[in-house]
Amino acid sequence: MIKLYDYLLSANCYKARLLLSMLDVPHELVPIEFYPRREHESAAFKKINPLGHIPVIDDDGFILRDAHAILMYLACKYDGGRDWYPTGDPRLLGEVASWLQFADGTAATASAARLCINFGYDFDLEACQAGAHRLFRVLDEHVWFREQEGLSWVASAAAPTVADMALFPDVALSEEGGISREDYPALRRWTERIQRLGGFIDMPGVLPVAPLPS
Amino acid sequence: MTAPDPASLLHPVAAGADLVPRHVVRSRLFGRRLAIWRADDGFINIWEDRCIHRGMRLSAGVNDGAELVCQYHGWRYSNRNGNCTYIPAHPGEAPAGALRVATFACAERYGLVWSGDSADASPPSIPALEDAEVLVLRSLPVNAPVPLVLEGLARYSFRPTAALGSDIPVATSADAGNPFSVTVTATTAGAASSVVFFVQPADAGRCVIRPVLSPAPAPGERLVTLRHHAGALEELRAQLEDARPTEIAVPLPVATLEPLRSGGTGGAAGGRRPQLQVRVARKWLCAEGITAFELVPVTGELPSFQPGAHLDVHLPNGLVRQYSLTNGPDLTDVYRIAVKLEPDGGGGSRLMHDSVHVGDVLDISTPRNNFPLRRDAARTVLIAGGIGITPLLAMAQTLARQGLTWELHCFARSDDHIAFGEMLDSLAGSITRHVGLTPEQTGHELGRIVRPYAPMNHTYVCGPGPMIATARALAADAGWPEAAVHFEYFKNESPRDDTSAFEVALARSGRSLRISAGESLLDGLRNAGVDLPSSCEQGACGTCIATVLEGEPDHQDVYLNGSERAAGDRMLTCVSRAKSGRLVLDL
Repeated sequence: MIKLYDYLLSANCYKARLLLSMLDVPHELVPIEFYPRREHESAAFKKINPLGHIPVIDDDGFILRDAHAILMYLACKYDGGRDWYPTGDPRLLGEVASWLQFADGTAATASAARLCINFGYDFDLEACQAGAHRLFRVLDEHVWFREQEGLSWVASAAAPTVADMALFPDVALSEEGGISREDYPALRRWTERIQRLGGFIDMPGVLPVAPLPS
Repeated sequence: MTAPDPASLLHPVAAGADLVPRHVVRSRLFGRRLAIWRADDGFINIWEDRCIHRGMRLSAGVNDGAELVCQYHGWRYSNRNGNCTYIPAHPGEAPAGALRVATFACAERYGLVWSGDSADASPPSIPALEDAEVLVLRSLPVNAPVPLVLEGLARYSFRPTAALGSDIPVATSADAGNPFSVTVTATTAGAASSVVFFVQPADAGRCVIRPVLSPAPAPGERLVTLRHHAGALEELRAQLEDARPTEIAVPLPVATLEPLRSGGTGGAAGGRRPQLQVRVARKWLCAEGITAFELVPVTGELPSFQPGAHLDVHLPNGLVRQYSLTNGPDLTDVYRIAVKLEPDGGGGSRLMHDSVHVGDVLDISTPRNNFPLRRDAARTVLIAGGIGITPLLAMAQTLARQGLTWELHCFARSDDHIAFGEMLDSLAGSITRHVGLTPEQTGHELGRIVRPYAPMNHTYVCGPGPMIATARALAADAGWPEAAVHFEYFKNESPRDDTSAFEVALARSGRSLRISAGESLLDGLRNAGVDLPSSCEQGACGTCIATVLEGEPDHQDVYLNGSERAAGDRMLTCVSRAKSGRLVLDL
């Protein structure tokens, strides 16, 4: 069974948990106490990931680190239909890769702001928040135009992809970093659509949404 | 530009398309945060973005289609008037009528949703948008003050049709007609179109540009047109936000918006006076011998209600009758009641059937709820006898909407005697009809229904007196605790004895009075100037309840259950009296 080295309150670990749940892949969570013990920086954990980051998965001895790498691996291995990581469509795959890159930016801004506030990290909070707003403006416009095209997700596919999973936690938890989503109505609708997907799981800070009328 | 008077105007706060099903939009106007949601019936609610309990943002709440639920402690607020309908921490009590979120005026025009602090104001009327189909363009929040944004928008230029190349000359003209909007018209040989920019004053130094294009482009050019304007506005925003540090931004005065109150209630506090006027909008036979009425407000909006609530109807001949609301939480713009013809009654039902017509105006009380529904039961068993289905119908619809486990048993003479029978078929739930049974057979069926008591089960019974008595006795035998058996009698048929005379001391007002034989405690209190609310005045509905501090009440009502009677700490003042020579009431 896949082992996920995980911390409940980590946005990056949440990406891996989300996709595991949506793909319905049996897995075991190995809690790593990120705060306050900083267990991810311990000598024992650095034997698993010398960078001292979570999440890390151990799939039958195959160790893989970094949230986005884990998303790609899980989608390729466990999604037979290849919707989540559309390797059969070069354009779509390019879109997904570019939004994964974008998600590195939201992690470095929106999620970094959350680390400042919730976990005492010494980043420049205002710079993180301003950077997150710059990216959210771009993403909100992108998602708004997707809606105008009759589409629901970040990439131009009919089904969600790993790009949605990579972006969702940073956006959904942004208020914890002091980044209001009042100015991003399309992003607020997009996060609700993700929360209504089958297999969706929440985490502390992600509030439940109403089901759509049947 | 003349200084705008924000109070006299409505301002856009959202695009109509933003209000997707089961969603809550977050917006802001003059610094006030707003939660905006569309109910399943299409009504748009614009509320202060703040739960009255602990201040949690309601825009983070759950829109269940008829109620907005706060994420923090689950307080539920009703579509339309924002009244609190349920507090999970007090599952057995009806929330006080004063518990209400602040609501604001709402209008829709040009594909936008408008709000403001004046109920009489309407959105601006813009000639350029009146004659053609319009297209709402993407709105854009800008961190810049309104005057600066309006100036910038006056310089906006665009191509009137997407097909035009950028090298074709375009003439642009701006018209600042309204203090919060700019119209820009672009013309070239053979083509002209206008963009009207409405500027939503969100906060000092922050606004939202909401552009509307007229005429709407051909369907094939829609996307490219949207992109053209989004790009041009993005450029303008960059200029405006860059320019801001050198501008002396004069922030708009942050107006205090007064919440709008729905009309009608008038604040009449006590007694049995009517509080509201309604018009009969619809009247129809909903079962054999049962007439249904739909009542709409004469002015303003109807006060909210919860399942189990009833209202008093003041009939033209002076009679006052109580009818349960059958509305589910989806139906908030009318009150729906059902009246069974009682040929041997006091004439109230005859009058309702024969003399009250569509268009007539009736005096009514606001809804009161002395039969509140818990929404935390593992299983809810609703037992209706005849017209007793009315409050249970409201309960069934509420339980069905929330996806809770429930069953409804309807006892009636025949299928044709079941009120709103066709509505029952549309409710997803376990509904059993028991028709044409003798009293013995009814008792047998009731025994089967109440037999399996399990923790967290609750039952609600409404019907003829003997049936309620049987159901209560059977439930007690089957081990149901009294607190899990809820009932509502139509009337109090038990014999009454008003021969006693006693002393009453009022602890709060420090007075004492004497109640003589033949006089009710309620009348005595009213004569002494204590204006206690009342409704049925025969000990069935529970409206005139008072807290007893000392003395032993002589209960003659059918509202309290056995343990409530034995506790002796509350009594119904309309029929109950004193066994001791003296009572001290918390009045």
